[in-house]
Amino acid sequence: MFLRLLWESFVRQRRRKLLAGIAILFGTTAVTAMLALATTIGDRIHKELAVYGANIVVYPKAEQLAVKVGGVDIKPATGNAYLKESDLSKLKTIFWANNINGISPELPLQLKHVFPDGTTPISAVGLWFHHPLGSGAATITTGASELHPSWKLNGSWPTSKEEAVIGSSLSNRLNLRTGDNLPVIAANTQNLHITGTVSTGDENDEKLLLPLATAQFLNNTPDAVSRVEVSARTKPEDSFARTDPDTLSPKQREIWYCRPYANSISYQIREVIPGAAAEQIRKVEQTEGTVLARISGLMWLISIAALLAASFAVSAAMATAILERRGEIGLMRSLGASKASIALLFYAESGLLALFAGVLGYLFGSGLAAWLGAHIFAGSGVPAIAVSTLPATSIFIPVLLPVVVATALIVAIAGSTPSIRSALKMDPSSVLRANA
Amino acid sequence: MSEAKVVAEIKSDWPANTTRPDCAVISLEGVCREYAGRGDVVRALEDATFSIVAGEWVAITGPSGSGKSTLVNMLGCLDRPTRGELKIDNVDVASMSSTELDRFRAEKIGFIFQQFHLIPYLSAVENVMLAQYFHSMTDEKEAKAALDRVGLGHRTGHLPSELSGGEQQRVCIARALINNPPILLADEPTGNLDAANQAIVADLLKDLHRNGHTVVMVTHDPEMATLAQRRIALSHGKVFCHPVGGPIVTLRR
Repeated sequence: MFLRLLWESFVRQRRRKLLAGIAILFGTTAVTAMLALATTIGDRIHKELAVYGANIVVYPKAEQLAVKVGGVDIKPATGNAYLKESDLSKLKTIFWANNINGISPELPLQLKHVFPDGTTPISAVGLWFHHPLGSGAATITTGASELHPSWKLNGSWPTSKEEAVIGSSLSNRLNLRTGDNLPVIAANTQNLHITGTVSTGDENDEKLLLPLATAQFLNNTPDAVSRVEVSARTKPEDSFARTDPDTLSPKQREIWYCRPYANSISYQIREVIPGAAAEQIRKVEQTEGTVLARISGLMWLISIAALLAASFAVSAAMATAILERRGEIGLMRSLGASKASIALLFYAESGLLALFAGVLGYLFGSGLAAWLGAHIFAGSGVPAIAVSTLPATSIFIPVLLPVVVATALIVAIAGSTPSIRSALKMDPSSVLRANA
Repeated sequence: MSEAKVVAEIKSDWPANTTRPDCAVISLEGVCREYAGRGDVVRALEDATFSIVAGEWVAITGPSGSGKSTLVNMLGCLDRPTRGELKIDNVDVASMSSTELDRFRAEKIGFIFQQFHLIPYLSAVENVMLAQYFHSMTDEKEAKAALDRVGLGHRTGHLPSELSGGEQQRVCIARALINNPPILLADEPTGNLDAANQAIVADLLKDLHRNGHTVVMVTHDPEMATLAQRRIALSHGKVFCHPVGGPIVTLRR
């Protein structure tokens, strides 16, 4: 009988149910979209900010010297202490190895451009270009070419030891173009072929960009690296992130270690690379944290507003629905129905509505999130993806379904409660007489 | 209606009652019901004292505003007295909690309404089963038997909108009877019916009374009132009634 009453009750007053259902649908669509975006927005923002470079820098410990340029804590390249290039593969063995998206080792050096009638000093830097890092399925292709997507290359990146690209300013100063040959000398000599000119917007515009192995050969410092830029997917910095892990209890230290803070990833890098110091580049990290915090706040605000609006709409719809059915309530009370059993009937009805609207809201919200994700982050480094081409697994996040349905239930119950409470306070005899 | 006129009417119209207070199923002792009005207290029922014995058929009469509804609400356990003692089946309902009162109402009272109050989307048999559902558990066979008893065995699957007024009232009576309550509380049971259906419902009530049911009937219809063994008249919240055992009018206060 309960199910019969529930179903009959549910399918009646369709217009009001539809209005309440639409309100819940809008609310849950907004919540699903916000939650789905929130789970992926960290990665997306990181990709956006990756355009501006790395967020961790690694350098030889012996050369610690704080130099801040425009508030950015950058350690200078040195000529006296080096890291080992062969140690860099260890970066893919740390706890948060999968959060390391790319690295770019550097070896700066001074060369001389050899003319038929003399030489000219040139600043150069050895870099990785499309270099494989890691092993097996976890192998990534990385280097300056990947870590600096904002660099504008005219030509192609070097693919062999005899090739180089030239900074745009240096290219103009020396009147060297793509296709020219450039004999250089340092500790050793090498004839380089210029495959492209690059505009970096920084001091590298005045440099010759060589493959790292070529720089090591010219400098006669095999396996040497002066500085490594690391781009890692991190959790925004909070006060716990800034804690010195050596002052924490073992349990707290483990928690700190197992959170992808830039600080803890830096700590893990120091653990695996002997003689290395690693620090986060604060400007990028802080920008990322600020953007994430603001976007998260906005998302919560939108979600709460949508849910509140849904709750009020449900409340209004239920108030009218219950008012129209007060005769039934009075009858049930006169037949001995307890207040709890009547409340259960109305709550079940709201719950059923919430269930339908919640599942639909989840489906619509997931689609909306995929669409928003594809359009908001289109351009500036992150490729736009057509929603229709996305696989279902990347649109629907199954764990969100129970969360969204539970949210819909809470909204429906909260919205229905005032009406149900007032219905139960009605005097059954006067209601029956009023309905006579 | 003046109190003297009510008393005179009762004295002249009503025969002696042969029932005895050996097993009162309803008893009121100094029952008052007051409501908070605007700045003062409205006394809807004053100092009502009477009893109804098992198997008795009592008519409650009185003009609008006389306190009939208040009295019926209390007899139907939909309301509780402000003061006094109200016992139904020897249980003091005034001291019961709301939940206990709900349970008690399902067990002891069968309501018959003037407007039938059938659920429009449930069939006749389902309307009867609704009372079973709130009482204990549903039994379709029993519900159909109850409908058969009121002459609607062939209309069990019909919706209220497909039944005539008289048929709807008979469904209402079957619903009131289904849990076999000791008291049937009929509020203007024929007030909404034509003469033919009025006669059918009156016959049904006579049958129920003959079979030992206690019937408390609120009515404006003098003809229906004559079917009852005794009349309890109300005026301005005061009760005038034949005490059990004879046509003596007692006016308290």
